Amino acid sequence: MRPHVFDTMGTVVSLVLPDRPEGRAVEVARVASVFREFDERYSLYRPESELSRISRGELALTDSSEELRSTYVEALHWRDATGGAFTPHRPDGVIDLNGTVKALAMQAAADVLLDSGVENWCLNVGGDVLFAGFQSDGSAWTVGVVDPADRAAVLFAITPTGTRHAVATSGSAERGEHIWLATAIDRTFVQATVVADDIETADVLATAIIAGGPEALAHIVGHWPVDVLTVGRDGSLTATPGLTAALAGA
Amino acid sequence: MSTRATLSGIFASVSILVVGWQAGAAVVSAQPSTTGTSTTSSAATSTTSTTSGTSSAASPSTSATKKTPKDGTFNGDSVQTPFGNMQVQIVVAGGKITDVKALQVTDYGGRSVQISNYATPILRSEVLKSQSAQVSTVGGGTYTSEGYLNSVQSAIDKAGL
Repeated sequence: MRPHVFDTMGTVVSLVLPDRPEGRAVEVARVASVFREFDERYSLYRPESELSRISRGELALTDSSEELRSTYVEALHWRDATGGAFTPHRPDGVIDLNGTVKALAMQAAADVLLDSGVENWCLNVGGDVLFAGFQSDGSAWTVGVVDPADRAAVLFAITPTGTRHAVATSGSAERGEHIWLATAIDRTFVQATVVADDIETADVLATAIIAGGPEALAHIVGHWPVDVLTVGRDGSLTATPGLTAALAGA
Repeated sequence: MSTRATLSGIFASVSILVVGWQAGAAVVSAQPSTTGTSTTSSAATSTTSTTSGTSSAASPSTSATKKTPKDGTFNGDSVQTPFGNMQVQIVVAGGKITDVKALQVTDYGGRSVQISNYATPILRSEVLKSQSAQVSTVGGGTYTSEGYLNSVQSAIDKAGL
């Protein structure tokens, strides 16, 4: 079944709707408009976005929209919770909310689909995945994750169960990553995949593991209900028991 | 495979897993003191200490019989670390370790802390089987609009699987 594919936020959305794939034009349009709204408010590559106006000093943070301020506060909470491994501040001091905004847009899109009564869907935005329900044949969604050493290959595939609906992967060698650190980035991991109940947690923690290395990994798996697989610079892998159990065909 | 080789294989596995477990629990820089092992020499690190504890539980490798290691569940000794006491349990079946669990750690207050989640090293061969699964979507490699064109996800979208 052909997914609905469209560009947004400098990347590509692939949305699979197994039930009535042709008859969901309204829902797809609403999902697209959700991403457009987030893109227009937060993207720094759009000079006219609210966040760009703040970065140029044209708009005071205190005069910004409530949505933007609450997104910023939430990102600061993530910074504190991860000991600074995740941060919404670029080294030059500019507020960059890309680390959470894509996930927030994905969750908002999920809310639109669920509110519309769409129970089965799989949403992939630039390599981060959020899904609900089942595939058209009733089987569980299976998510492959690319091999950082060979982007044309799948390194592993998982079939998350229970409440795990979000799979986010962060890498250190990619453009479009938003890992800002005051100190030097840890070089241990080249890729981290985090499986969580929600996409914001998965996305932020994947970023924090790449930025913070083994110390951040140990803290995160001990404090959040998440499953993790990391790929080291030397190609070695580590995984939590939950992730190993979720490997497809395991 | 001889008993000795099998056992040393087991010990190597335990060492690797324990090291990984400790890395996962942020115990990386420690030179902890040892406690209560059946071997009296003080080991340099908790890894060797735990290994020696396991060997005493799993009947020592010095018995040069041709028997395969006993099946069963064996607990390593509790080891003191800067982060509290840690203990590892292994399950042996058919001469191989089939499971390793971190039983518990206690923090400095003596409070028992259940370790339910930690990242341990796994081999690429362990994820190999999953690679052949029919995937619904492909994550990772956070791609830009241009990068998407060459991505695995793009191929899946075109194929309409």
